[in-house]
Amino acid sequence: MSALYLYPRWLRAWHWINALLFLVLMYTGASMHFSGGGWLMPFDLAVTVHNTAGILLTLGWIGFVIGNLSTENGRHYRVRVSGFFGRLFVQARYYGYGIFHNAPHPFHVSAEMKLNTLQQLSYLGVMYALMPLLILSGWAFLFSVSLPETLLGLPSVWLVAMAHLTLAYLLVLFLLVHMYIITTGETVTTNLRAMITGWHREDEPSSGQTEEAKS
Amino acid sequence: MNDRDISVRAGGWLALGLLLSALLGSVPETEASIQGRLGTDNADCLRCHRMETLAYRDPRTGDIVDLHVDSRAFGHSAHGELQCIDCHEGDFGQYPHPESALGERLDCVGCHKELHKADKRAYTFKTIDEEFALSIHATSDSPKAEGFDCHRCHDPHGFRNSEVGQPIAEIVRADNQICLSCHTKIRDPHSTAHLWLPKRDKHWTSVRCLDCHTPLTDPGQPVSHQILAGADSNFDCVNCHSKEPRLLQRLYQYRSETDLAGSGWLSKAVFNQAYVVGMSRSPLLDALGLSVIGLTLLVLIAHGWGRYRAYLRLKEDRS
Ligand code: HEC
Ligand code: HEC
Ligand code: HEC
Ligand code: HEC
Ligand code: HEC
Ligand code: HEC
Ligand code: HEC
Repeated sequence: MSALYLYPRWLRAWHWINALLFLVLMYTGASMHFSGGGWLMPFDLAVTVHNTAGILLTLGWIGFVIGNLSTENGRHYRVRVSGFFGRLFVQARYYGYGIFHNAPHPFHVSAEMKLNTLQQLSYLGVMYALMPLLILSGWAFLFSVSLPETLLGLPSVWLVAMAHLTLAYLLVLFLLVHMYIITTGETVTTNLRAMITGWHREDEPSSGQTEEAKS
Repeated sequence: MNDRDISVRAGGWLALGLLLSALLGSVPETEASIQGRLGTDNADCLRCHRMETLAYRDPRTGDIVDLHVDSRAFGHSAHGELQCIDCHEGDFGQYPHPESALGERLDCVGCHKELHKADKRAYTFKTIDEEFALSIHATSDSPKAEGFDCHRCHDPHGFRNSEVGQPIAEIVRADNQICLSCHTKIRDPHSTAHLWLPKRDKHWTSVRCLDCHTPLTDPGQPVSHQILAGADSNFDCVNCHSKEPRLLQRLYQYRSETDLAGSGWLSKAVFNQAYVVGMSRSPLLDALGLSVIGLTLLVLIAHGWGRYRAYLRLKEDRS
């Protein structure tokens, strides 16, 4: 049994607020996008809620970036170059093959490294590429008057709309995969509990699994 | 209808007498002298029928029958070129009008069936009649809808079909006025109908009731006459809010501009109206996005199932 304190309070607070905002934005976004259906929010209300949640998401994102710059948490996002592809391959093989044969986890969570290479990559992509683009396109909507009439010969607001929609779909996709992947810890709920309590506990004796693989 | 309708026939007679004495000169006329032939030009008929108060109460139904014909509206109507007696074929040149002429019923379809020009219309009166027969006004068993016919919506002396080049706003106003003249309750801000529709009044000044309340017609054809019951009517915003992104684009820009001119920027950002439905609609992206998400879900489920099988095997081996 090992326990590591990996998720400081500010990070957990940010994570769950962010998660809630994601759900709200998805629901209100769908309500505006597919407006008029039975289970959707009325359009007018959806616009207001979506705009509010979008602004809060922006603040949250800024907070997250500042947090990573000013605390040690940022180091979890530093990709180590040496052996990068090797680790990527091992991790991918585990998810695609090893996991079905009760192979041991190739990656071990430690205070220095809580994210495996695949996680690192996807979180980096989401937090530092997709999220800022999504936020930017959202704000472009809010201040569409200041946009030029056309961009590259296409109506600029239409471009913004398409970008926002594509990014939104990608982030829904991320959310799905994310919610699934966190169940692949030592036990199904290891990672979820870690994000709630801050403590990463590996309380199942993992020896059984390792031995299995050795034999 | 005019509030000052003379509701008794005698009143009409009285007004008529006064009018005629004015028309036929200063010499006071006797009853007998105004009887007989009066001419059959439109002007002759309108001498009396222009009078706003010309009306009588039908002794059978008790309804007030308005005999007033607005000569200006008539002149501008689709029938403005016609003589009154082209349609009113009885011997109306006589006064009092003979009994035989008075009972006559005219209707749009009966008349237009015989007209050659009717066949040339893309949209024939026969089609309109068939659609009308299926409409909620014809099929409703509400007592208020009894005897509903074309004339409830189209005054034969005033109706003019919309034409290419007429300002849209004008068409919308004129057409919606027809519906709203009866459906007054719908206008009430507390009316529960159309609650789901944002900017209800805005929509009512920019689209016709008919656009939502009738099934879609083929391109190039005018709006159908088959008015649907509320429940069957068109909910789908996308039928309007996606066809012409460029049109919406300009609308959209305009909106935000006037919007932003207002109060503080934060409240403007929150209550921003910039997003018009359909702006972000793209059938291709939707299909792509939703199918990728669906596929991913399937893969994840399959993955989870594989893991579960592995877990079962592990348990088996252990025991
Ligand atoms: C001297 C006035 C006068 C003139 C002129 C006159 N009308 Fe009338 N009209 C009346 C009055 C009054 C009635 C009401 C019915 C009645 O009492 O005979 C009436 C009724 C009618 C009706 C209604 C019949 C119905 O079924 O209710 C029609 C249609 C009509 N007139 C057409 C005409 C036409 C067409 C002309 C011209 C050729 C004409 N009138 C000229 C006074 C006139
Ligand atoms: C296109 C054919 C047409 C022409 C032209 C026409 N009318 Fe009519 N008129 C009708 C029809 C149809 C009705 C019956 C309306 C109804 O049943 O509500 C009618 C009804 C009337 C009535 C009776 C009103 C009522 O509610 O019953 C009067 C009066 C009348 N017309 C006068 C005139 C006069 C005067 C003119 C000429 C200025 C004229 N009409 C021209 C078609 C015509
Ligand atoms: C008594 C016969 C008669 C009646 C009743 C009648 N019309 Fe007409 N209508 C005509 C004639 C005649 C014309 C002129 C056709 C022409 O211009 O060649 C005409 C023209 C029109 C036109 C314009 C020409 C076109 O075909 O686009 C429209 C629209 C029209 N009528 C609609 C109606 C409607 C709606 C009603 C019922 C409220 C009605 N009519 C009742 C005889 C009638
Ligand atoms: C519930 C109201 C209503 C009823 C009932 C109704 N109409 Fe209409 N009708 C309209 C409206 C609204 C329009 C659109 C007018 C426009 O903008 O041209 C229209 C348009 C028309 C047009 C013009 C179409 C074109 O090609 O421009 C004709 C002709 C017509 N109606 C005939 C009829 C006939 C015939 C009947 C009876 C069988 C009838 N209407 C019943 C509301 C009605
Ligand atoms: C002469 C009056 C009158 C006019 C004009 C009129 N309506 Fe109606 N409408 C009625 C009556 C009466 C009913 C049936 C009674 C009821 O259900 O309220 C009805 C029913 C309806 C309904 C069904 C309501 C329900 O409960 O589902 C709809 C929708 C409707 N009308 C739309 C229209 C539209 C659109 C127009 C204009 C093109 C129009 N009406 C013009 C009188 C009118
Ligand atoms: C954007 C589309 C749209 C427009 C525009 C629109 N309606 Fe409707 N209307 C609907 C739909 C959908 C329903 C049924 C759902 C509901 O009851 O709200 C409805 C319901 C109704 C009903 C039935 C109300 C009840 O209590 O059941 C009436 C009457 C009606 N509309 C009349 C009108 C009139 C008159 C206009 C024009 C001034 C109009 N509508 C404009 C879509 C529309
Ligand atoms: C029959 C066509 C039609 C339908 C159906 C329709 N709309 Fe509209 N809508 C319009 C038009 C046209 C305008 C432009 C109004 C204007 O001139 O500014 C508009 C404007 C709007 C606006 C902007 C109003 C403003 O003041 O900024 C919103 C929001 C809107 N619609 C939402 C919806 C929603 C949500 C639905 C479905 C529940 C819907 N519309 C269904 C035609 C339609």
